[in-house]
Amino acid sequence: MSKLDYDGPILEIDKLSISFFTRLREIPAVMDFSVTVRPGEAMGLVGESGCGKSTVALGVMQDLGVNGRIVGGTIKFKGRDLAEMSDEELRDVRGNEIAMIYQEPMASLNPAMRIGKQLMEVPMIHEGVGEKEAYDRALEVVTDVKLPDPARILNSFPHQLSGGQQQRIVIAMALMSKPSLLILDEPTTALDVTVEAAVVELVKDLGEKYGTSMLFISHNLGLVLETCDRISVMYSGEAVETGSIGDVFDKMQHPYTQALFRSIPLPGADKNARPLVAIPGNFPLPHERPPGCNFGPRCDYFEDGLCNENKAIPMYPVEGDDRHDTRCLKFQEIDWNAPMEVSDSKEKAEPGQVVLKMDNLKKYYEVAASALFGGKNKKVVKANETLSFEARESETLAIVGESGCGKSTFAKVLMGLETATDGQILLDNNSIQDIPIESRDTKTISNVQMVFQNPFDTLNPSMTVGRQIIRALEIFGVGDTEEARKQRMLELLDLVKLPREFAGRMPRQLSGGQKQRVGIARAFAGDARIVVADEPVSALDVSVQAAVTDLLMEIQRENKTTLLFISHDLSIVRYLSDRVMVMYLGHVVELGSTDQVFAPPYHPYTEALLSAVPIADTKVEKQHIVLEGDIPSAMNPPSGCPFQTRCRWKSEVPGGLCEKEVPPVRVLDAGHQVKCHLSDEILDRMEPVIKVAAE
Amino acid sequence: MDPLSWGEILVQIFIRFTPVWIALLTLFVVSIFYKRKLGLYGKLFDSPIGMVGFALVMFWVFTAIFADLIMTHDPLFQVSGMKNKVPGTPMSSTAEEGMFTHYLLGGDNLARDVFSRMVLGSRVVLLIAPLATLFAFMVGITLGLPAGYYGGTLDTVLSFLANLVLAFPVILLFYLLVTPEIVLTGLPTFMAMFLFVFPLVFLVILFNSRYFTQTTKRNVLVATVLIVGGSLYLSTISQPGTPVNFLPPGLDMFNIESGILIVFVSVVFVNSPTVFRIVRGLVLDIKTRDYVAAGQTRGEGPWYIMLWEILPNARGPLIVDFCLRIGYTTILLGTLGFFGLGLSSESPDWGSTINAGRRLLSVFPHPAIAPALALMSLVLGLNLLADGLREESLKD
Repeated sequence: MSKLDYDGPILEIDKLSISFFTRLREIPAVMDFSVTVRPGEAMGLVGESGCGKSTVALGVMQDLGVNGRIVGGTIKFKGRDLAEMSDEELRDVRGNEIAMIYQEPMASLNPAMRIGKQLMEVPMIHEGVGEKEAYDRALEVVTDVKLPDPARILNSFPHQLSGGQQQRIVIAMALMSKPSLLILDEPTTALDVTVEAAVVELVKDLGEKYGTSMLFISHNLGLVLETCDRISVMYSGEAVETGSIGDVFDKMQHPYTQALFRSIPLPGADKNARPLVAIPGNFPLPHERPPGCNFGPRCDYFEDGLCNENKAIPMYPVEGDDRHDTRCLKFQEIDWNAPMEVSDSKEKAEPGQVVLKMDNLKKYYEVAASALFGGKNKKVVKANETLSFEARESETLAIVGESGCGKSTFAKVLMGLETATDGQILLDNNSIQDIPIESRDTKTISNVQMVFQNPFDTLNPSMTVGRQIIRALEIFGVGDTEEARKQRMLELLDLVKLPREFAGRMPRQLSGGQKQRVGIARAFAGDARIVVADEPVSALDVSVQAAVTDLLMEIQRENKTTLLFISHDLSIVRYLSDRVMVMYLGHVVELGSTDQVFAPPYHPYTEALLSAVPIADTKVEKQHIVLEGDIPSAMNPPSGCPFQTRCRWKSEVPGGLCEKEVPPVRVLDAGHQVKCHLSDEILDRMEPVIKVAAE
Repeated sequence: MDPLSWGEILVQIFIRFTPVWIALLTLFVVSIFYKRKLGLYGKLFDSPIGMVGFALVMFWVFTAIFADLIMTHDPLFQVSGMKNKVPGTPMSSTAEEGMFTHYLLGGDNLARDVFSRMVLGSRVVLLIAPLATLFAFMVGITLGLPAGYYGGTLDTVLSFLANLVLAFPVILLFYLLVTPEIVLTGLPTFMAMFLFVFPLVFLVILFNSRYFTQTTKRNVLVATVLIVGGSLYLSTISQPGTPVNFLPPGLDMFNIESGILIVFVSVVFVNSPTVFRIVRGLVLDIKTRDYVAAGQTRGEGPWYIMLWEILPNARGPLIVDFCLRIGYTTILLGTLGFFGLGLSSESPDWGSTINAGRRLLSVFPHPAIAPALALMSLVLGLNLLADGLREESLKD
């Protein structure tokens, strides 16, 4: 079928309701959802996990599986109702006129087929063009997605490419047939920040070049701000607010949108003076939604008798704005400009004496070329290179870096799962770098504990929550009797603000945030003095992130814990850390107090990192720095400065010094050190990356 | 008396199985009533396939339990004049008073009751097959866990050995094991010594790793395992007439018939490498989880992590495989019996009876068909049960 000329809206979703049918009941996943995407428009769909945003995308693709069914409303694509199309017509539309890009690039590519073949398939199937022409088109598109050496890429297999390159190929594949609508389902969640920034920019540019309409699904408000024209905020299966980016971000008309913005760390939030406001309560389960407004029980403006009346709430248009709707009964009564109630600001804890000291720590791995017979060809991977820093009591030290920067290796060495190759780790002036965990005494082990990233993985699924905490107590030798340990376990549950009944629950009965709280309780079971938190909130929903972060801060204040906070999310790092250490390929490239690191002079990598992080604030102006290429492999690091392959300041250093020598550590101000060859003069010339426009 | 027609035979058989029907009905009514509270077992009753499989398996389990009530005759007793009689033949005049009036499924070539032999045969099969499978799992798990967890050379060596055993032709191995010369060298007994020590090791490590922080509790548990398990182990391996015979007769609690021991050992030996490979694969996956890292960072020993953090989370695939493997073992036992290996020729187990019946198969098929159908239905039931379990464990 030829692509008809059509100038109405590309996609019209009208009062769409989708339900899943399980053994026990019907579970409504999406209710009364309406959205219109005009040609060339990018629509953002934002919400927490389980709010139904991906279900909408699958509904548009008519791919709901055996259990899912559209129970009401219509989806019109270019004026044609998708539900009335035959399978054949649908096949023609999918991939040809509507293309979809998923979160995990490796899962969308066939690992046994060369890239070129996979790309050529698209026009050969949909348009029946010849092999030669298809190859030319593939070459053109791969050039468009800015991949180096397109001919070689076409001839390679998916596993030979990095994650960022794979995602570019997936985008190229989606664009092969020049679709009218592109659905992106969390396209960059699996990528590193600097790579994400480059992919997002690519998507934006291509959208403009090809005039494609986009449906951009994300949980990241900052990302939506950077890519979309319009936004629809979803909560518990419903759109709660729809409008243009400007209207929704600056003149929000729904309490959920407001609460969402207050729970993310924007520049200006501060853990002591202006803490984040977590949304109280939990996300309702799809079959336990409250009567009336779904957000009612968690809403600050809740009015009994009005908001919980058992009646569906329609979308109300906001007058004066362009297509700005809200699903709130009280939006005209609420004073949206009222300042946020500042909850009791807390005393800043003063850092005490040095608890942990790293001195020139090195960790090298020897990797044999092949497992069985590669005795001779050993390669050395330098996972950590001369790591030196100090951490004090009740201080938060953030360790920032992307994948492969060596932050996990560092955590392993500190925990004793690996021993150091060289250098020293001093814990209270005792060196522990050579003592593996089996030979450490219980005190040392319980002093240094860890909180893990993935809440779904952090608890053993076949043991009750209480049992797991009691086990940690047993190992740390806390309590003499079973009874005493049980008592302590209940106190720990109190500490992390979980109800005591949770002791008897299985992990699968807990939400992600609750699991993460149990993980924190377990880490503090032996009164840990140093806690390594490995991205503890990055897998959680925004509204839960604030609550868990707050909890960590509170426990830290009470116990004077030293927190080593590993993260790639600079917004949250700026919010909660006292000092920041930036790592790249095993090197510490910058170290200093939070203010020093977030203000110029920067290390060039810090600068790029700051620019790459999406910020959900229309008032923030960012300098636009996009790094070329990918992070080099630690197996084969570049010569000289590790960052020289992607550095935009490299030309400012005379004599190709960057390629020859690893830069020395230079102390700029008190406690601010940078590993860079740039002269002081150039460093002073740097401008701040993030500027908050005056209101 | 008149011979019975087929309808009457079926009615009679149905009546003989009354205790089984009652037990099955009770089990199903109770289980379906409480199915929401019974976890995976309860979910089984949502799947028709699983229910059918479970019913078939439990039918034979109950038959084995109530065999004494169901049997119509002594399975070894020969009644003259009943040789190779067709099903439903009334007892000949030589029969004693008080005996059941008919051979329901006819007589075999030694004039024994086919029906009673089939019923009692279920007891042999259902005793050996699950037990042998359990032992194979113990061996496979105890070796598979460290192979997957530590990796490296240990893994390479163990995997190589497992492949070696897998590559060896099973039937040839069995023939070797029952050859009198080999039996005289004591090889089967030494293998039994080696294989039967694994459950003991497994249980001791299991309790020690869990309770080493509470010394008293640990000591009691480990001591119990060692005393009970140890004496069972010693009694099992110490056999008069073999090179391993060290226990004085007073301490040797029981002796296992050497035929059964050999069958048992061979079945465990050929099954454990497959279990080893499954466990190893599962461990390789599960050891990357954060809760394993959490265990490591709080200083847990490797065996605690393997047995208490990893193994419980590998249980789903293992349970399914266990069901399927009982099926394989049953067939394997049948095959062994068919080749005349292992169990004594009088044994009523299904494999041996099929073998005995095959010689006159074209003239008198019934002595072979009855146990063959029984074997088929049990294996089918186990397969359906495993399917049902797999299907239901994936659903939510």
